[in-house]
Amino acid sequence: MQKNPNKKRKVLSYIIITISSLIMLTPFITAALNSLKSYVQYTAIPVEWIPDPVQWENYVEVWKMTDFAQYGWNSLVVTVLSVVGALFSCSLVGYAFARLEFRFKNSLFIMVLGTLMIPPVVMIIPQFIIFKNMGLLDTLVPLWILEWLAQPFGIFLMRQAFLAIPKEYEEAAKLDGCSPLQTYWRIFLPMCKPQLATLTIFTFMAKWNEIMAPVIYLSSQEKFTLPIGVLSMSGAWFGQEQYLVAAALMTLIPILIVFLFTEKFFVKGASSSGLK
Amino acid sequence: MVLILALLLSACSAETDSEEDGDSSATEITLGFYSSGSADEKMKDLIAQFEKEHPDIKVKTQNAPYQQFFQKLDTQIAGGNEPDVWLSDGVFVLKYAERGAARDLTKWIEKDLNKDDYYGLDFNKGPDGKYWGVPQGIQIGALFYNKDMFDAAGVDYPDDTWTWEDLKEAGAKLTIDTSGKKAGESGFDANTVKQYGLTFFNITEGWMPVLKSYGGGVLGEDLRKSIIDSPENKEAVNYIVDGMERGIFTDPADLQAFQSPMSPFPSQTAAMRIGIYARALAANETGVNYDVTVLPKGPDGKRFSPVIANSWVISNNTSDKKAKAAWEWIKYWVSEDNVQKQWAELGEAVPVKKSVANSDLFLNSGDKPQNKQAFLDSFEFAGTLDVNAVWSEWVKQMGDNLNRAFLNEASVDEALETADKEVQKVQDEFYKK
Repeated sequence: MQKNPNKKRKVLSYIIITISSLIMLTPFITAALNSLKSYVQYTAIPVEWIPDPVQWENYVEVWKMTDFAQYGWNSLVVTVLSVVGALFSCSLVGYAFARLEFRFKNSLFIMVLGTLMIPPVVMIIPQFIIFKNMGLLDTLVPLWILEWLAQPFGIFLMRQAFLAIPKEYEEAAKLDGCSPLQTYWRIFLPMCKPQLATLTIFTFMAKWNEIMAPVIYLSSQEKFTLPIGVLSMSGAWFGQEQYLVAAALMTLIPILIVFLFTEKFFVKGASSSGLK
Repeated sequence: MVLILALLLSACSAETDSEEDGDSSATEITLGFYSSGSADEKMKDLIAQFEKEHPDIKVKTQNAPYQQFFQKLDTQIAGGNEPDVWLSDGVFVLKYAERGAARDLTKWIEKDLNKDDYYGLDFNKGPDGKYWGVPQGIQIGALFYNKDMFDAAGVDYPDDTWTWEDLKEAGAKLTIDTSGKKAGESGFDANTVKQYGLTFFNITEGWMPVLKSYGGGVLGEDLRKSIIDSPENKEAVNYIVDGMERGIFTDPADLQAFQSPMSPFPSQTAAMRIGIYARALAANETGVNYDVTVLPKGPDGKRFSPVIANSWVISNNTSDKKAKAAWEWIKYWVSEDNVQKQWAELGEAVPVKKSVANSDLFLNSGDKPQNKQAFLDSFEFAGTLDVNAVWSEWVKQMGDNLNRAFLNEASVDEALETADKEVQKVQDEFYKK
C-alpha cells in the first residue's frame, strides 16, 4: 500500500526533471542544429529547425578557415597552467588562513575578501601597464600568472574546506612529527578533493572561455586562444555565422571532458556541506 | 617560483630591447587592424608586398575581432602602447582625434595625395578642417531590392525617381501576412507578417537616411548641438512609425525574432533594405536575385546616403620616424592601383581610389549587384552619420528613444523631446571642458 504513492511521486519527479532538462538543453540543441546548416537555412524565416541536407563539412571548413589546432594548444597551455596555479596557491593560502595563527590574520582575510568587490574592468589598465613594463605583452604569461598568486574566491573556498576538518587530525599529525607544511600536504589536501575538483572546474571554465584578457595582452595571431580565434572568423561583415556556431561548439568539448572527469567529486562537494 | 619569474622577465625584456636598438637602418612599425574573416589573409599578403617594395620598413601586425579590437585599442592608448598605425571604423576616427590619440595628417595629405583622385577623404575631416585619417575602404548606403519579389507582386523596380512615400506604397504591395493577404487589403494582419516590404535596422541602415532626406538630422553643423526636436524630424519619424504600424517595415521587436537582425534581406523575408556596400556579401552568399539603386528622395527632393569611411589612423604617440614609415604604408594602400584592385576583389568595400572604383574591375565584376554604379552615384549626396567624439554615446541615447516611438511606448513628440535633451547632455559633458 505504501509503495504506490512513493512510486507515483518518483514518476512525477522524473517527468519534471526530464521536461526541465529538455528546456535547458534547447539552446544547446538549437546551436548543434544550426552548426550543421547552410547559411541559407541558418537565416531562413520561419526558422527551419532540422538541417537539410546536413552540412557536416561545416566542421571541416572551420579547421580550414582558422588555425584551430594552434589556438586550442594555446588555450590548453593557459588553462592547465592556471588550474595548477590556482590549486597550488589557493590551497596553500587557504590552509594558512584556516589553520595557522599569525598576526592580523582576520584583518588580512577581510582584505582578501574585499578585493572580490573590485570590478575587474577597473584593474585592466593598471595591469596592462604592469605587464607592459615587465615586457610580457604578447606572451601567454599574463593569462595564467595571476592564478599562481592566489585569487580570493579560491582562497575562500579552500579556507572553508580546511576549517571543516576536525582539530584532532591536526593534533595527531603533530604527535607523529609532521610540520605544518607536511600536515597540509599529507593530511589536509587529500581530505579536500571535492573542493579541489570544484576549484578545478571553475578555473578551467573561466580560463578556457576568457576573452577580455587574451584580447588585451595578445597581438600576434599565432598566440591567440580559442575564444578570440573563433570570434576572428566572423569578421566585420557577417554572412557565415553557421561556421561560428560550429567552432563555438567545438570549443565546448574540453569543458565537457573535464566535467565528466571531476563530476564524481564535484557532486560530492556540493552535497557534503549539508552533511557536516 | 620567484626565480623562474625573474628569469622569464629578464629574457623577455632583453628580447624587446635588442629589437628596438638592433638595426637602425630598418624602421619597424606596428600595424593594427580588426579581422574581417577571410580578408585577413589578403591584408597580410598586401603587407608582405609592401615590405618587399620598402626594404627599410618592417611591419608587425596586430589584429583582433572587430569589437574586441577597439576595447583593446582603448586600453593600449591608456597604457601608451597602441600600434603606430591602425585601421579605425569610420565612426571612431574623430573620437581618437579629439582625445589626442590620432596624428593630424593634413600636411601629408596635401603634399602627397591629389584629393580629387579619392573618394571620401573629407569624411574624416573634423569641424576644424583637419584630416585625421585616410580611408581604407568606403561603405556607402543604397537601396537593395529583391527582383523576384517585385516580379511576383507585379511592382516596377525602384529607380532614382522614388520618394520615401513611393517606397512605402510599393512596400505595401510587397508585404504579405501568413494568410496571404497584402498590406492594405481588408483582413490583413500586421502582427503575422511573413514578408516585409522594407527591413529597417538602427542608425546607418535605418532612421538616419530617412531623417536626413526629410531635412532633419541629429547634430547641427558644428557637430556639438542637437537639432533633434525639429518639425522635419517629426515628419520623418511619423513616416517610419506609420510604416511599422502597418506592418510594411520591420520594427525593433520583429528584428529580435530573427537569428540576426541582418538576416531579413538575405533570407528573402524582406523585399527591400537600406544597405551599405558590404551587405552584398551576405546576399550573394544566399543567392538572392537582387539589385541596388540610389536611396529615395525626401518630400523636398533632398537625398541622403550614409557614409562610413573606415580609415587608417596614425598614432600621435609614436616617433616622427615611425609615423613617416606609417605614412608610407597609407600612401601605398590608397595610391597604388595594384593594391586597390587586390582589395576591391574581396568585395568588402567601395575602393578609395576613384580610378579603380570606376574601372570594370569594380563595376562589372560579375558578382551581384549589377548596378554598382548606384553606389558611386550616391557620393553626390553622401554624408557622415553626424560623427563626433562622443558618437557611440549619443547614438545609444537617440536609438533608445526612437525605439520607444517605434514600439509605441512613447509618442513621436515625446521621444524626440527626450532624445534631444539626452543627446545634448552627452555633448555638453564632453565639450564643456
